[in-house]
Amino acid sequence: MRTTTSGHTAALRWGVLALGAGLGLAACSGGTGAGSAGGGGNSGKKATTIKLVAAEYSKDHTKAFWDKFATDYKAKTGNTLEVQIVSWDDIDQQSSTMVQNNNPPDILNLNAYASYAKDGLLYSADDVLSSSVKSDLLDAFVKSGTYNGKMYGMPDLSSARAMFYNKALFKKAGIAAPPKTWAEFEQDATKVAGLGDGSIGYGLPLGPEESQGEFSIWMFNNGGDWKKDGKWTINSPENVETLTFLKSLATKKLTQNNPGKTNRQDAFDLFASGKVGMVVGFSPLAATLDGAKKVDYGVAPMPTKADGGEPQTFGVTDYLMAFKKTGNQDAVKAFYDLYYQKDQVNTFIKAEGFLPVTKSGIEQFKSDTKLATYLETLPNAHLTPTDDPTWDKVKLAVQQNLGTAVTGDPKAVLDKLQKSAEAGS
Amino acid sequence: MKRRGEASGPVALLWLGPALILIAGVVVYPAVELVKASLSRYSITGLRKGDAGLENFRGVLANESLGTVLTNTLVWVVAVVVLTILISLGVAQFLTKDFWGRRVVRWAVIVPWAASLVITARLFSLIYSYYYGTLNALLLKLHVISTPIDFLGDDRWIMPSMVAVGVFVSIPFTAYVFVAGLHAIPSDVYEAARIDGASPWKVWRLITLPLLRPAVLVATVLNMIYVFNSFPIIYTLNESNPGFGHDTTITFMYKLAFKSAEKDVGQSAAAGLFNVLLILVAVVVYLRVSRWREEEQS
Repeated sequence: MRTTTSGHTAALRWGVLALGAGLGLAACSGGTGAGSAGGGGNSGKKATTIKLVAAEYSKDHTKAFWDKFATDYKAKTGNTLEVQIVSWDDIDQQSSTMVQNNNPPDILNLNAYASYAKDGLLYSADDVLSSSVKSDLLDAFVKSGTYNGKMYGMPDLSSARAMFYNKALFKKAGIAAPPKTWAEFEQDATKVAGLGDGSIGYGLPLGPEESQGEFSIWMFNNGGDWKKDGKWTINSPENVETLTFLKSLATKKLTQNNPGKTNRQDAFDLFASGKVGMVVGFSPLAATLDGAKKVDYGVAPMPTKADGGEPQTFGVTDYLMAFKKTGNQDAVKAFYDLYYQKDQVNTFIKAEGFLPVTKSGIEQFKSDTKLATYLETLPNAHLTPTDDPTWDKVKLAVQQNLGTAVTGDPKAVLDKLQKSAEAGS
Repeated sequence: MKRRGEASGPVALLWLGPALILIAGVVVYPAVELVKASLSRYSITGLRKGDAGLENFRGVLANESLGTVLTNTLVWVVAVVVLTILISLGVAQFLTKDFWGRRVVRWAVIVPWAASLVITARLFSLIYSYYYGTLNALLLKLHVISTPIDFLGDDRWIMPSMVAVGVFVSIPFTAYVFVAGLHAIPSDVYEAARIDGASPWKVWRLITLPLLRPAVLVATVLNMIYVFNSFPIIYTLNESNPGFGHDTTITFMYKLAFKSAEKDVGQSAAAGLFNVLLILVAVVVYLRVSRWREEEQS
């Protein structure tokens, strides 16, 4: 009897152990969804099937575009393009898992590339980009796509930020024109917040989704930057001043509740609900607002700290990078040749509501008056240092820490980020 | 000395085969991979750069947020499991009573269990929302509060808000384990108690509870494991909060690999091994303690 009982208990315990282990492991082995890409394999053999892993910009357009593109690619080259669309939430995890399993796609669409270039995984533009294509790319994006003297990050689309303001709230608060300086900006935000009835002066998103973007555009308009002359300047006096200013907006209750824990999308939603006086937005937000037709808004250049300063815009581009795999070079080159044809790249960008990455694209989009504010500033747009692999980690550190400055000490937060950036390079 | 009816080695293996293959594929293989990963050095891209020795484990232990994360985990598991067990005991009693519409209520109780955790968590993040949440709207209407509560942003409220959701999704399973347990109690012991004039409270404390003990034990152990490993609730409700301030060891492990400045698969794997050890130790300790009590009682 005794033995059977303990036998049962032992079995139960082992069962529980196995279950616990299984659950624990399942939690970290999720998402190895990458099928085997047909590209690699026998040396010397040319790949006839390549795989694209692309980020999902929108449910409606991204998959539709790439599926159509795959058809065109097949018709033109005879090669097959496998398309896998992944949401932005999961793409870091998926791409990392693919590389880890030694099974990267041939083309990966991501918002970073430098670490991949540093690891020697990528083709440079010299290998896979026709010179006519490269010379059409905007210089700012060639620069941001260049690591160690070679271009690895081919831009797929771009965006530029500007100040969105609610015309109805401005009128109600007696504000004649959008602010040109930070002082005016603060006055206007105070006026809007003073309207009561849940009105919010400024929608400030410093939550982990994209706090580096919000901070970037403010610091650029105070003469600050992440890096200057090859050195990290995250805790420069201008940047400390900028973050202190943003914190003061929260302290003075000119922003929405808890800006350090508000993500960009939440701030956009609030603006779209008509409660918010101003928010830093980009063209996809304009498309949403135009669709909803609820908020009468205007778009203005960013206010600058200095009186009469030149407004700076924050530009973002994402990348299409190509992984070195045996035999896939020609197929990859054909991919880029087709993607950068005017009727492909610009169709994609237009459908997604973003901005062009090529000189010919700017010409083509010029007729759209709605985009005028952005297009003028785009060639001079200020970008984050995506050409530095260290930035890939610094960006994450910023996302996870910047928001704490709203309730903490801005200088201490920036000092810590500066230290981690210096340690990483 | 072979007993009758006992299968020979090869035949037994044949019967066990499918289960063994499953265990090998689902438990052993990932475990081996996890250990391998924890001993490797990875680039931020996921590329393996060589052996790391015990560097990853040291990295996890040296993480300045580890203390916070462990405290959060303890609070999360204990609070959710204890509340779940207590509430489920009541719910199970209710569900075993005969009343009109019991079938509907039983179905209703099971719904939160059937819904995907991600969907439930998303739903609750809307309910809790500071600006549009129904909970704040309700409390304001009832004049319970005068200004909205930032359930998912105010440091005092985040953990209680998450625990409430954790309890909500754990109740169905637990309650049904107890319903089964209650049905297994023979009715004659209740009859005897009633004849002896025992009060309802006494009946419950001295008969129901002791006889329900095996069910409570199983429910507690399984809940500990489920709750400890719960990812979607904490990850979703905690989405807009920077840093590790409200993470448990499970979301901590995920963020180490993909979201934090470490972005290190190796450290994450090391954290994963710590997690497995942690829950195993917790469960073994719990089983020890509960059996020790049993012996003391008898």
